[in-house]
Amino acid sequence: SGFKQVREDEKSKLVGNVFSSVASSYDVMNDLMSAGLHRLWKDRLVSGAQSITPYGDSLFLPDSSDFFSRLISKLNPFPGMKHLDVAGGTGDVAFRVVERIKSVSHRATQGTLTDMEEDTHIYVCDINPNMLEVGKKRAAEKGYNEEQCLSWVQGDAEALSFEDGSMDGYTIAFGIRNVTHIEKALSEAYRVLKKGGRFLCLELSHVDVPVFKDIYDIYSFSVIPAVGELVAGDRQSYQYLVESIRRFPKQEKFAQMIQEAGFEAVEYENLVGGVVAIHSGVKL
Amino acid sequence: RTMRRTTALLLRHGGGGIPQALADVLVCPLSKKPLRYCEASGSLVSDAVGMSFPIVDGIPCLLPKDGKLLEDHQRESGHETSSRDSSD
Repeated sequence: SGFKQVREDEKSKLVGNVFSSVASSYDVMNDLMSAGLHRLWKDRLVSGAQSITPYGDSLFLPDSSDFFSRLISKLNPFPGMKHLDVAGGTGDVAFRVVERIKSVSHRATQGTLTDMEEDTHIYVCDINPNMLEVGKKRAAEKGYNEEQCLSWVQGDAEALSFEDGSMDGYTIAFGIRNVTHIEKALSEAYRVLKKGGRFLCLELSHVDVPVFKDIYDIYSFSVIPAVGELVAGDRQSYQYLVESIRRFPKQEKFAQMIQEAGFEAVEYENLVGGVVAIHSGVKL
Repeated sequence: RTMRRTTALLLRHGGGGIPQALADVLVCPLSKKPLRYCEASGSLVSDAVGMSFPIVDGIPCLLPKDGKLLEDHQRESGHETSSRDSSD
């Protein structure tokens, strides 16, 4: 249906351009793509009532932060863990992991800093240095730099610079669709995880719900590029992004790929009818 | 943390230059072998592939395509073998 065919070398350049173009409005862009819907529809649909946040196949529109919260819940972070977040340069996932561990730890130890908590470390790896700079700045603003539990590394999801079996957890949120060779990213994730380590991927996915699917298609292919034109003066990049979501493997196929990388207990959860999905697996 | 004046030590052995939490886990993105910190250039060196990777603003830049070939003076003579004291 008229998708642009993108050659591999072109893809990484295009992706790079997209992110340079929208780096400063990255959060806005993700909001647009996924739960930004709620900013347009929430008032009308929910009319004042608190939005329901069920997880699973549902048409209700949670706040985009709920996607991250759900991801963190599934990750189940613990004090002393070593966690790698890939493609999350701005810190969305990393900060939530830190906060979650702190709250877990404080409940357990009534506020005294334990050795375990001091060992906690979150590594943020992103291919884009601008994103990492944004993340570092936000971390400083939140006062995380004193705690020294965050590290920022520029790297490629397909060729990670972390040692085999060094991580308790691995997350990639809204990043894997931009990877040229998804299988490589998955096998790298497998390599760096310890035995028992968890893989989690939050990504825009495929909607099969009748009627909603058509609405979503119209929204994606007509509204989003137009808004991209208005917001960032860049219709083409947003067009590319929308198409890249459609090109991304469907939920079942992606789950299969995760399994082929060696993970077990592979499962996925659709949010907002499949607009977003969280895939997970364990390295046994 | 004392900065060693002798030739760069493997990160794992407290070779300085970057925080220990990074030194503990970072490897060459191509070979997955240990890196060492080169004080003179402030970069991370992978002897396995003969390349160095810069550190910019405290952020190690470990994209495979951004590795630079080592100058002769950066190469180690080989007396510092990369056997780690921890269990392999």
